[in-house]
Amino acid sequence: MGNNQVGITLKSASEQAAATIAAMPVRPKTIRCPICQQLCLTYADLAEHYASEHPDSVAPTAVTLNVNGINCNLIFEPHLTLKQVLQYHLGLIGAKEMCDRGACGSCTVIMDGKPALSCNILASECEGKIIETVEGIAVIPKWKPLIDEYCKWDAMQCGYCTPGFLVAAKALLDRNPNPTEYEINDALSGNICICGTQPRHSQAILEAVKLMAEGSDI
Amino acid sequence: MRPFNHINATTLNQASDALKKSGAVAAAGGGDLFPALKDNIFPEYPKTVINIKSIPDLDYIKVDGDTLRIGALATLADIARSPLVQANAPILAQAAGRASSPSLRETTTIGGNVCQLPRCWYFRKLNNRFNCARKGGERCFALTGDNRYHSIFGGTVFETAPGVKRTCVAVNQGDLAPVLMVLIAKFVTTERVIGNMDFFGVGVLNSTVLNCGEILTEIQIPLSEYAQRSRYKRFTFRKSIDYPVLNLAIAVNKDKSQYHICIGGVAPVPYIAGNAEALLKGREITPELAEQAGIAAAEGAKPYEANAYKVQLIKTLVKRELLAL
Repeated sequence: MGNNQVGITLKSASEQAAATIAAMPVRPKTIRCPICQQLCLTYADLAEHYASEHPDSVAPTAVTLNVNGINCNLIFEPHLTLKQVLQYHLGLIGAKEMCDRGACGSCTVIMDGKPALSCNILASECEGKIIETVEGIAVIPKWKPLIDEYCKWDAMQCGYCTPGFLVAAKALLDRNPNPTEYEINDALSGNICICGTQPRHSQAILEAVKLMAEGSDI
Repeated sequence: MRPFNHINATTLNQASDALKKSGAVAAAGGGDLFPALKDNIFPEYPKTVINIKSIPDLDYIKVDGDTLRIGALATLADIARSPLVQANAPILAQAAGRASSPSLRETTTIGGNVCQLPRCWYFRKLNNRFNCARKGGERCFALTGDNRYHSIFGGTVFETAPGVKRTCVAVNQGDLAPVLMVLIAKFVTTERVIGNMDFFGVGVLNSTVLNCGEILTEIQIPLSEYAQRSRYKRFTFRKSIDYPVLNLAIAVNKDKSQYHICIGGVAPVPYIAGNAEALLKGREITPELAEQAGIAAAEGAKPYEANAYKVQLIKTLVKRELLAL
Protein backbone atom coordinates (compact mmCIF):
# COMPACT_ATOMS: atom_id res chain seq x y z
CA MET A 1 0.00 0.00 0.00
CA GLY A 2 1.41 3.34 -0.99
CA ASN A 3 1.71 6.16 1.48
CA ASN A 4 -1.06 8.17 -0.05
CA GLN A 5 -3.66 5.38 0.01
CA VAL A 6 -6.11 4.78 2.78
CA GLY A 7 -7.42 1.34 3.65
CA ILE A 8 -8.29 -1.08 0.91
CA THR A 9 -9.60 1.54 -1.52
CA LEU A 10 -7.54 2.30 -4.55
CA LYS A 11 -8.15 6.04 -4.56
CA SER A 12 -6.13 8.41 -2.41
CA ALA A 13 -7.78 10.00 0.61
CA SER A 14 -7.79 13.45 -0.98
CA GLU A 15 -9.47 12.17 -4.16
CA GLN A 16 -12.16 10.40 -2.18
CA ALA A 17 -12.76 13.45 -0.03
CA ALA A 18 -12.87 15.74 -3.06
CA ALA A 19 -15.47 13.50 -4.68
CA THR A 20 -17.57 13.51 -1.50
CA ILE A 21 -17.40 17.28 -1.20
CA ALA A 22 -18.25 17.71 -4.89
CA ALA A 23 -21.33 15.56 -4.36
CA MET A 24 -22.61 17.73 -1.51
CA PRO A 25 -26.01 19.16 -2.53
CA VAL A 26 -25.96 22.94 -2.43
CA ARG A 27 -29.74 23.05 -2.27
CA PRO A 28 -32.35 20.32 -1.86
CA LYS A 29 -33.27 18.77 -5.22
CA THR A 30 -36.92 18.43 -4.33
CA ILE A 31 -38.80 19.73 -1.32
CA ARG A 32 -41.18 17.11 -0.04
CA CYS A 33 -43.28 17.02 3.08
CA PRO A 34 -41.64 14.35 5.29
CA ILE A 35 -45.07 13.23 6.54
CA CYS A 36 -47.28 12.96 3.44
CA GLN A 37 -44.58 13.21 0.73
CA GLN A 38 -46.38 16.06 -1.01
CA LEU A 39 -44.13 17.94 -3.40
CA CYS A 40 -43.61 21.64 -2.61
CA LEU A 41 -41.94 24.19 -4.83
CA THR A 42 -40.32 26.39 -2.20
CA TYR A 43 -39.68 26.32 1.53
CA ALA A 44 -42.46 28.88 2.03
CA ASP A 45 -44.88 26.44 0.38
CA LEU A 46 -43.72 23.70 2.74
CA ALA A 47 -44.21 25.93 5.78
CA GLU A 48 -47.68 26.82 4.54
CA HIS A 49 -48.45 23.17 3.90
CA TYR A 50 -47.40 22.33 7.47
CA ALA A 51 -49.52 25.09 8.94
CA SER A 52 -52.62 23.90 7.10
CA GLU A 53 -52.18 20.09 6.94
CA HIS A 54 -50.02 19.15 9.95
CA PRO A 55 -50.56 21.85 12.56
CA ASP A 56 -49.46 19.56 15.44
CA SER A 57 -46.15 18.54 13.87
CA VAL A 58 -42.90 20.42 14.02
CA ALA A 59 -42.18 22.05 10.68
CA PRO A 60 -38.70 21.65 9.19
CA THR A 61 -36.44 24.67 9.28
CA ALA A 62 -34.47 26.18 6.41
CA VAL A 63 -30.84 26.70 7.39
CA THR A 64 -27.73 27.65 5.44
CA LEU A 65 -24.70 25.75 6.66
CA ASN A 66 -21.17 26.64 5.63
CA VAL A 67 -19.54 23.23 5.43
CA ASN A 68 -16.01 22.85 4.05
CA GLY A 69 -16.24 26.28 2.45
CA ILE A 70 -19.49 25.61 0.60
CA ASN A 71 -22.76 27.26 1.57
CA CYS A 72 -25.47 24.62 1.57
CA ASN A 73 -29.13 25.55 1.80
CA LEU A 74 -30.81 22.76 3.70
CA ILE A 75 -34.26 21.96 4.97
CA PHE A 76 -34.41 19.63 7.96
CA GLU A 77 -36.28 19.07 11.20
CA PRO A 78 -34.92 21.12 14.12
CA HIS A 79 -34.21 18.13 16.37
CA LEU A 80 -31.50 16.79 14.06
CA THR A 81 -27.96 17.07 15.33
CA LEU A 82 -25.18 18.44 13.17
CA LYS A 83 -23.78 14.92 12.86
CA GLN A 84 -27.08 13.63 11.45
CA VAL A 85 -27.43 16.52 9.00
CA LEU A 86 -23.85 16.05 7.76
CA GLN A 87 -24.57 12.40 7.13
CA TYR A 88 -28.16 12.35 5.92
CA HIS A 89 -28.36 15.63 4.05
CA LEU A 90 -24.80 16.27 2.88
CA GLY A 91 -23.42 12.73 2.54
CA LEU A 92 -20.38 13.48 4.70
CA ILE A 93 -19.81 10.25 6.56
CA GLY A 94 -16.43 11.19 8.02
CA ALA A 95 -17.78 12.28 11.40
CA LYS A 96 -18.87 9.04 13.05
CA GLU A 97 -21.53 8.33 15.61
CA MET A 98 -20.26 6.09 18.40
CA CYS A 99 -21.58 7.02 21.84
CA ASP A 100 -23.88 9.83 20.63
CA ARG A 101 -23.54 11.39 24.11
CA GLY A 102 -20.47 13.58 23.69
CA ALA A 103 -18.21 11.11 25.48
CA CYS A 104 -16.10 9.54 22.72
CA GLY A 105 -15.02 12.27 20.28
CA SER A 106 -15.66 10.22 17.11
CA CYS A 107 -17.97 12.91 15.76
CA THR A 108 -15.49 15.80 16.19
CA VAL A 109 -15.73 18.57 13.60
CA ILE A 110 -14.12 21.99 13.61
CA MET A 111 -16.54 24.83 14.17
CA ASP A 112 -15.22 28.39 13.97
CA GLY A 113 -11.69 27.06 14.41
CA LYS A 114 -12.43 25.08 17.54
CA PRO A 115 -13.03 21.34 17.89
CA ALA A 116 -16.69 20.62 18.58
CA LEU A 117 -18.70 17.44 19.04
CA SER A 118 -21.25 17.37 16.25
CA CYS A 119 -23.46 14.81 18.00
CA ASN A 120 -24.07 17.32 20.76
CA ILE A 121 -24.91 20.35 18.64
CA LEU A 122 -28.23 20.99 16.94
CA ALA A 123 -27.73 21.74 13.26
CA SER A 124 -30.33 24.49 13.41
CA GLU A 125 -28.02 26.41 15.79
CA CYS A 126 -25.13 26.35 13.31
CA GLU A 127 -26.26 29.00 10.85
CA GLY A 128 -23.40 31.37 10.11
CA LYS A 129 -20.75 29.13 11.63
CA ILE A 130 -17.84 27.81 9.60
CA ILE A 131 -17.83 24.04 9.80
CA GLU A 132 -14.93 21.91 8.70
CA THR A 133 -15.11 18.13 8.58
CA VAL A 134 -12.46 15.50 8.03
CA GLU A 135 -13.23 15.54 4.29
CA GLY A 136 -12.43 19.24 4.17
CA ILE A 137 -9.10 18.55 5.85
CA ALA A 138 -8.21 15.69 3.52
CA VAL A 139 -8.51 17.81 0.36
CA ILE A 140 -6.04 20.45 1.59
CA PRO A 141 -2.51 19.50 0.45
CA LYS A 142 -1.05 21.04 3.61
CA TRP A 143 -2.58 18.28 5.73
CA LYS A 144 -1.56 15.39 3.47
CA PRO A 145 1.46 14.54 5.67
CA LEU A 146 -0.84 14.13 8.67
CA ILE A 147 -2.99 11.56 6.87
CA ASP A 148 0.05 9.83 5.41
CA GLU A 149 1.70 9.55 8.81
CA TYR A 150 -1.50 8.18 10.32
CA CYS A 151 -1.33 5.40 7.71
CA LYS A 152 2.42 4.93 8.05
CA TRP A 153 2.42 4.64 11.85
CA ASP A 154 -0.73 2.54 11.79
CA ALA A 155 -2.61 4.82 14.19
CA MET A 156 -5.83 2.96 13.52
CA GLN A 157 -7.19 -0.53 13.62
CA CYS A 158 -10.87 -0.64 12.80
CA GLY A 159 -10.69 3.03 11.78
CA TYR A 160 -14.05 4.09 13.16
CA CYS A 161 -12.67 6.64 15.61
CA THR A 162 -9.85 7.82 13.33
CA PRO A 163 -11.66 10.77 11.65
CA GLY A 164 -12.43 12.18 15.10
CA PHE A 165 -8.79 11.86 16.12
CA LEU A 166 -7.62 13.44 12.88
CA VAL A 167 -9.92 16.44 13.24
CA ALA A 168 -8.89 16.92 16.88
CA ALA A 169 -5.24 16.71 15.79
CA LYS A 170 -5.81 19.29 13.06
CA ALA A 171 -7.50 21.63 15.52
CA LEU A 172 -4.52 21.24 17.83
CA LEU A 173 -1.98 21.92 15.07
CA ASP A 174 -3.94 25.00 13.96
CA ARG A 175 -3.63 26.41 17.46
CA ASN A 176 -0.17 25.07 18.23
CA PRO A 177 1.91 24.11 15.16
CA ASN A 178 4.67 22.54 17.23
CA PRO A 179 3.11 20.57 20.08
CA THR A 180 4.90 18.36 22.57
CA GLU A 181 3.85 14.78 23.14
CA TYR A 182 2.15 15.81 26.38
CA GLU A 183 0.13 18.51 24.62
CA ILE A 184 -0.92 16.04 21.92
CA ASN A 185 -2.09 13.49 24.45
CA ASP A 186 -3.92 16.23 26.33
CA ALA A 187 -5.66 17.54 23.20
CA LEU A 188 -6.67 14.02 22.12
CA SER A 189 -7.83 12.99 25.58
CA GLY A 190 -11.44 13.58 24.57
CA ASN A 191 -11.26 10.87 21.90
CA ILE A 192 -11.59 7.21 22.70
CA CYS A 193 -10.18 4.36 20.63
CA ILE A 194 -11.46 1.02 21.80
CA CYS A 195 -8.86 -0.82 19.68
CA GLY A 196 -6.17 0.77 21.84
CA THR A 197 -4.12 2.77 19.33
CA GLN A 198 -3.68 5.78 21.61
CA PRO A 199 0.17 5.73 21.84
CA ARG A 200 0.51 5.70 18.05
CA HIS A 201 -1.48 8.91 17.56
CA SER A 202 1.10 11.09 19.29
CA GLN A 203 3.86 9.41 17.31
CA ALA A 204 2.06 9.92 13.99
CA ILE A 205 1.31 13.56 14.78
CA LEU A 206 4.89 14.28 15.89
CA GLU A 207 6.22 12.77 12.64
CA ALA A 208 3.66 14.72 10.62
CA VAL A 209 4.75 17.95 12.32
CA LYS A 210 8.34 17.25 11.25
CA LEU A 211 7.30 16.53 7.65
CA MET A 212 5.09 19.61 7.49
CA ALA A 213 7.95 21.79 8.78
CA GLU A 214 10.26 20.36 6.09
CA GLY A 215 7.60 20.93 3.45
CA SER A 216 7.21 24.57 4.39
CA ASP A 217 10.98 25.15 4.09
CA ILE A 218 10.96 24.03 0.47
CA MET B 1 -34.02 12.67 19.76
CA ARG B 2 -37.72 13.10 19.23
CA PRO B 3 -39.07 16.08 17.32
CA PHE B 4 -39.37 19.32 19.25
CA ASN B 5 -39.85 22.96 18.42
CA HIS B 6 -36.68 24.96 18.42
CA ILE B 7 -36.32 28.66 19.18
CA ASN B 8 -33.12 30.65 18.79
CA ALA B 9 -33.69 33.25 21.50
CA THR B 10 -32.17 36.65 20.85
CA THR B 11 -32.97 38.41 24.12
CA LEU B 12 -33.16 37.28 27.74
CA ASN B 13 -36.78 38.41 28.00
CA GLN B 14 -37.78 36.33 25.01
CA ALA B 15 -36.04 33.25 26.42
CA SER B 16 -37.49 33.80 29.87
CA ASP B 17 -41.04 34.17 28.56
CA ALA B 18 -40.69 31.09 26.37
CA LEU B 19 -39.31 29.08 29.31
CA LYS B 20 -42.35 29.83 31.43
CA LYS B 21 -44.58 27.88 29.04
CA SER B 22 -45.01 24.21 29.87
CA GLY B 23 -42.66 21.73 28.24
CA ALA B 24 -39.91 24.22 27.49
CA VAL B 25 -36.26 23.69 28.34
CA ALA B 26 -33.24 25.92 27.81
CA ALA B 27 -30.14 24.71 26.01
CA ALA B 28 -26.80 26.51 26.07
CA GLY B 29 -23.83 24.24 25.36
CA GLY B 30 -26.09 21.20 25.33
CA GLY B 31 -23.58 19.01 27.13
CA ASP B 32 -26.12 18.07 29.77
CA LEU B 33 -29.44 18.47 27.97
CA PHE B 34 -28.95 16.66 24.67
CA PRO B 35 -27.64 13.38 26.13
CA ALA B 36 -30.57 13.54 28.56
CA LEU B 37 -33.00 14.01 25.66
CA LYS B 38 -31.38 11.16 23.73
CA ASP B 39 -31.67 8.93 26.79
CA ASN B 40 -35.24 10.17 27.25
CA ILE B 41 -34.86 10.51 31.01
CA PHE B 42 -37.50 13.18 31.60
CA PRO B 43 -41.00 12.17 32.71
CA GLU B 44 -42.39 14.38 29.94
CA TYR B 45 -40.51 14.91 26.72
CA PRO B 46 -39.91 18.66 26.22
CA LYS B 47 -42.01 20.27 23.50
CA THR B 48 -39.69 23.21 22.94
CA VAL B 49 -35.95 23.63 23.20
CA ILE B 50 -34.87 27.23 23.58
CA ASN B 51 -31.35 27.96 22.41
CA ILE B 52 -30.03 30.65 24.74
CA LYS B 53 -26.55 30.58 23.21
CA SER B 54 -27.81 32.89 20.49
CA ILE B 55 -28.33 35.70 23.04
CA PRO B 56 -25.53 38.17 22.30
CA ASP B 57 -23.01 39.58 24.77
CA LEU B 58 -23.35 36.99 27.51
CA ASP B 59 -20.00 35.24 27.06
CA TYR B 60 -17.71 37.94 28.45
CA ILE B 61 -14.91 37.49 30.97
CA LYS B 62 -13.86 40.82 32.45
CA VAL B 63 -12.66 42.55 35.59
CA ASP B 64 -14.85 45.38 36.82
CA GLY B 65 -13.35 47.18 39.82
CA ASP B 66 -12.81 44.45 42.39
CA THR B 67 -15.02 41.83 40.76
CA LEU B 68 -14.27 39.22 38.14
CA ARG B 69 -17.40 39.00 36.03
CA ILE B 70 -18.04 35.97 33.87
CA GLY B 71 -21.05 35.80 31.58
CA ALA B 72 -23.05 32.61 31.92
CA LEU B 73 -22.43 31.69 28.29
CA ALA B 74 -18.62 31.81 28.58
CA THR B 75 -17.35 28.40 27.57
CA LEU B 76 -15.22 26.32 29.90
CA ALA B 77 -12.32 26.39 27.43
CA ASP B 78 -12.44 30.19 27.26
CA ILE B 79 -12.39 30.36 31.06
CA ALA B 80 -9.50 27.91 31.29
CA ARG B 81 -7.50 29.90 28.70
CA SER B 82 -8.39 33.40 29.92
CA PRO B 83 -5.38 35.24 31.40
CA LEU B 84 -7.79 37.25 33.57
CA VAL B 85 -9.15 34.13 35.22
CA GLN B 86 -5.72 32.55 35.48
CA ALA B 87 -4.41 35.63 37.29
CA ASN B 88 -7.38 36.36 39.52
CA ALA B 89 -8.95 32.98 40.22
CA PRO B 90 -6.43 30.29 39.27
CA ILE B 91 -8.45 27.41 40.70
CA LEU B 92 -11.41 28.35 38.53
CA ALA B 93 -9.24 28.17 35.41
CA GLN B 94 -7.82 24.88 36.66
CA ALA B 95 -11.26 23.38 37.37
CA ALA B 96 -12.71 24.58 34.07
CA GLY B 97 -9.70 23.15 32.23
CA ARG B 98 -10.22 19.70 33.72
CA ALA B 99 -13.97 19.33 33.27
CA SER B 100 -15.26 16.83 30.68
CA SER B 101 -13.14 16.59 27.50
CA PRO B 102 -11.20 19.17 25.41
CA SER B 103 -13.72 19.22 22.56
CA LEU B 104 -16.73 19.39 24.86
CA ARG B 105 -15.19 22.25 26.84
CA GLU B 106 -15.21 24.37 23.68
CA THR B 107 -19.00 24.36 23.56
CA THR B 108 -20.22 23.82 27.13
CA THR B 109 -20.75 26.86 29.30
CA ILE B 110 -20.11 27.82 32.91
CA GLY B 111 -23.82 28.49 33.45
CA GLY B 112 -24.72 25.03 32.24
CA ASN B 113 -22.01 23.49 34.38
CA VAL B 114 -23.32 24.95 37.63
CA CYS B 115 -26.95 24.17 36.73
CA GLN B 116 -26.37 20.58 35.56
CA LEU B 117 -28.67 17.82 36.71
CA PRO B 118 -27.33 15.02 38.94
CA ARG B 119 -25.45 12.07 37.47
CA CYS B 120 -27.27 9.49 39.60
CA TRP B 121 -27.69 6.36 37.49
CA TYR B 122 -31.27 5.84 38.58
CA PHE B 123 -32.06 9.41 37.54
CA ARG B 124 -30.21 8.95 34.23
CA LYS B 125 -31.53 5.49 33.39
CA LEU B 126 -32.77 5.16 29.80
CA ASN B 127 -36.42 5.87 29.01
CA ASN B 128 -37.26 7.07 32.52
CA ARG B 129 -37.02 3.51 33.86
CA PHE B 130 -36.85 4.77 37.45
CA ASN B 131 -39.33 7.54 38.12
CA CYS B 132 -37.39 8.68 41.16
CA ALA B 133 -38.11 11.40 43.69
CA ARG B 134 -35.92 13.88 41.79
CA LYS B 135 -38.33 13.58 38.84
CA GLY B 136 -41.42 13.99 41.00
CA GLY B 137 -41.82 10.28 41.72
CA GLU B 138 -42.27 8.54 45.03
CA ARG B 139 -38.95 7.24 46.26
CA CYS B 140 -35.21 7.41 45.95
CA PHE B 141 -33.97 4.15 44.46
CA ALA B 142 -30.37 4.75 45.48
CA LEU B 143 -31.27 4.39 49.17
CA THR B 144 -31.84 0.67 48.72
CA GLY B 145 -29.95 0.15 45.48
CA ASP B 146 -26.39 0.66 44.31
CA ASN B 147 -25.27 3.89 45.94
CA ARG B 148 -21.53 3.86 45.45
CA TYR B 149 -21.50 7.32 43.92
CA HIS B 150 -24.12 8.85 46.17
CA SER B 151 -24.22 11.17 49.14
CA ILE B 152 -22.49 10.38 52.41
CA PHE B 153 -24.01 13.35 54.22
CA GLY B 154 -27.60 12.19 53.90
CA GLY B 155 -30.25 13.14 51.42
CA THR B 156 -31.98 16.45 50.98
CA VAL B 157 -35.65 16.56 51.74
CA PHE B 158 -37.71 18.61 49.33
CA GLU B 159 -41.33 18.99 48.32
CA THR B 160 -42.37 17.33 45.07
CA ALA B 161 -45.90 18.69 45.51
CA PRO B 162 -47.40 20.89 48.23
CA GLY B 163 -47.23 18.84 51.42
CA VAL B 164 -45.49 15.85 49.80
CA LYS B 165 -41.91 15.54 51.00
CA ARG B 166 -39.33 13.36 49.29
CA THR B 167 -35.64 12.77 49.71
CA CYS B 168 -32.86 12.45 47.12
CA VAL B 169 -29.30 11.27 47.77
CA ALA B 170 -27.83 12.07 44.35
CA VAL B 171 -24.77 14.29 44.62
CA ASN B 172 -23.82 17.51 42.87
CA GLN B 173 -20.90 16.44 40.71
CA GLY B 174 -20.24 19.74 39.01
CA ASP B 175 -16.58 20.61 38.57
CA LEU B 176 -17.00 24.31 39.18
CA ALA B 177 -19.49 24.25 42.06
CA PRO B 178 -16.99 23.79 44.96
CA VAL B 179 -14.63 26.33 43.41
CA LEU B 180 -17.33 28.98 43.15
CA MET B 181 -18.36 28.21 46.74
CA VAL B 182 -14.89 28.84 48.22
CA LEU B 183 -14.38 31.94 46.08
CA ILE B 184 -17.63 33.40 47.48
CA ALA B 185 -19.14 33.87 44.04
CA LYS B 186 -22.40 35.68 43.46
CA PHE B 187 -24.88 34.36 40.92
CA VAL B 188 -26.79 36.98 38.95
CA THR B 189 -30.03 35.86 37.34
CA THR B 190 -32.67 37.64 35.35
CA GLU B 191 -34.59 38.26 38.60
CA ARG B 192 -32.13 38.60 41.48
CA VAL B 193 -28.61 38.16 42.84
CA ILE B 194 -28.03 34.94 44.78
CA GLY B 195 -25.17 34.37 47.21
CA ASN B 196 -22.96 31.31 46.97
CA MET B 197 -24.52 29.62 50.02
CA ASP B 198 -28.05 29.85 48.65
CA PHE B 199 -27.60 29.06 44.98
CA PHE B 200 -27.37 25.28 44.95
CA GLY B 201 -30.49 23.42 45.93
CA VAL B 202 -32.48 20.29 45.32
CA GLY B 203 -35.80 20.27 43.52
CA VAL B 204 -37.74 18.36 40.93
CA LEU B 205 -35.50 18.35 37.82
CA ASN B 206 -33.49 21.17 39.35
CA SER B 207 -30.08 21.45 40.99
CA THR B 208 -30.34 25.11 41.88
CA VAL B 209 -32.83 27.48 43.44
CA LEU B 210 -33.69 29.03 40.06
CA ASN B 211 -37.41 29.46 39.45
CA CYS B 212 -39.25 28.56 36.30
CA GLY B 213 -38.20 31.03 33.60
CA GLU B 214 -35.30 32.41 35.62
CA ILE B 215 -32.00 32.40 33.70
CA LEU B 216 -28.52 32.62 35.16
CA THR B 217 -26.79 35.51 33.40
CA GLU B 218 -23.56 36.21 35.24
CA ILE B 219 -21.20 34.89 37.88
CA GLN B 220 -19.35 37.47 39.95
CA ILE B 221 -16.21 36.52 41.80
CA PRO B 222 -14.78 39.08 44.23
CA LEU B 223 -11.05 39.65 43.70
CA SER B 224 -10.17 38.70 47.24
CA GLU B 225 -7.05 37.28 48.78
CA TYR B 226 -8.84 33.91 48.90
CA ALA B 227 -8.42 33.51 45.18
CA GLN B 228 -4.64 33.83 45.39
CA ARG B 229 -4.02 31.04 47.87
CA SER B 230 -6.19 28.14 46.87
CA ARG B 231 -6.13 24.55 45.73
CA TYR B 232 -8.44 22.45 43.60
CA LYS B 233 -8.32 18.69 43.45
CA ARG B 234 -10.60 16.26 41.70
CA PHE B 235 -10.64 12.54 42.23
CA THR B 236 -11.75 10.61 39.16
CA PHE B 237 -11.32 7.13 37.79
CA ARG B 238 -10.35 8.42 34.35
CA LYS B 239 -8.24 11.42 33.51
CA SER B 240 -10.57 12.82 30.87
CA ILE B 241 -14.29 12.63 30.02
CA ASP B 242 -15.26 11.75 33.56
CA TYR B 243 -17.21 13.40 36.30
CA PRO B 244 -15.35 13.79 39.57
CA VAL B 245 -16.23 11.12 42.12
CA LEU B 246 -15.21 13.71 44.63
CA ASN B 247 -13.72 17.16 44.16
CA LEU B 248 -12.33 19.56 46.65
CA ALA B 249 -11.58 23.28 46.70
CA ILE B 250 -9.67 24.99 49.49
CA ALA B 251 -8.94 28.70 49.81
CA VAL B 252 -7.37 30.74 52.59
CA ASN B 253 -6.93 34.45 53.16
CA LYS B 254 -3.57 36.14 53.67
CA ASP B 255 -3.33 36.13 57.45
CA LYS B 256 -4.78 32.61 57.59
CA SER B 257 -7.62 33.73 59.80
CA GLN B 258 -10.25 32.05 57.67
CA TYR B 259 -10.14 28.87 55.62
CA HIS B 260 -12.79 27.91 53.08
CA ILE B 261 -13.17 24.21 52.35
CA CYS B 262 -15.84 22.90 50.01
CA ILE B 263 -16.25 19.32 48.85
CA GLY B 264 -18.30 18.32 45.83
CA GLY B 265 -19.65 14.87 45.13
CA VAL B 266 -20.44 14.00 48.74
CA ALA B 267 -23.78 15.69 49.32
CA PRO B 268 -26.77 16.82 47.23
CA VAL B 269 -25.32 20.34 47.30
CA PRO B 270 -21.60 21.23 47.52
CA TYR B 271 -20.63 20.44 51.11
CA ILE B 272 -19.00 23.15 53.23
CA ALA B 273 -16.73 21.43 55.75
CA GLY B 274 -17.64 23.75 58.64
CA ASN B 275 -15.97 21.64 61.35
CA ALA B 276 -12.64 21.66 59.57
CA GLU B 277 -12.91 25.41 58.89
CA ALA B 278 -13.56 26.08 62.59
CA LEU B 279 -10.65 23.88 63.61
CA LEU B 280 -8.23 25.55 61.21
CA LYS B 281 -9.30 29.14 61.89
CA GLY B 282 -6.26 31.33 62.55
CA ARG B 283 -3.80 28.45 62.75
CA GLU B 284 -0.69 27.54 60.80
CA ILE B 285 -0.88 24.23 58.91
CA THR B 286 1.17 21.42 60.42
CA PRO B 287 0.99 17.77 59.39
CA GLU B 288 -0.89 16.92 62.60
CA LEU B 289 -3.34 19.76 62.17
CA ALA B 290 -3.94 18.81 58.52
CA GLU B 291 -4.75 15.27 59.57
CA GLN B 292 -7.13 16.50 62.27
CA ALA B 293 -8.76 18.82 59.73
CA GLY B 294 -9.29 15.87 57.39
CA ILE B 295 -10.99 13.93 60.16
CA ALA B 296 -13.07 16.99 61.09
CA ALA B 297 -14.14 17.46 57.45
CA ALA B 298 -15.51 13.93 57.35
CA GLU B 299 -17.26 14.33 60.71
CA GLY B 300 -20.96 13.59 60.58
CA ALA B 301 -20.71 11.42 57.48
CA LYS B 302 -23.26 8.62 57.33
CA PRO B 303 -22.19 6.51 54.37
CA TYR B 304 -24.51 3.97 52.81
CA GLU B 305 -23.43 0.42 52.20
CA ALA B 306 -21.34 1.04 49.09
CA ASN B 307 -19.84 4.52 49.54
CA ALA B 308 -17.84 4.44 52.79
CA TYR B 309 -14.72 4.91 50.65
CA LYS B 310 -15.66 8.56 50.24
CA VAL B 311 -15.03 9.18 53.96
CA GLN B 312 -11.45 8.02 53.56
CA LEU B 313 -11.14 10.08 50.39
CA ILE B 314 -12.22 13.24 52.21
CA LYS B 315 -9.77 12.64 55.06
CA THR B 316 -6.87 12.00 52.72
CA LEU B 317 -7.56 14.70 50.14
CA VAL B 318 -8.24 17.44 52.70
CA LYS B 319 -5.01 16.58 54.52
CA ARG B 320 -2.99 16.44 51.31
CA GLU B 321 -4.34 19.65 49.85
CA LEU B 322 -3.92 21.56 53.12
CA LEU B 323 -0.28 20.51 53.25
CA ALA B 324 0.18 21.58 49.62
CA LEU B 325 -1.60 24.92 50.16
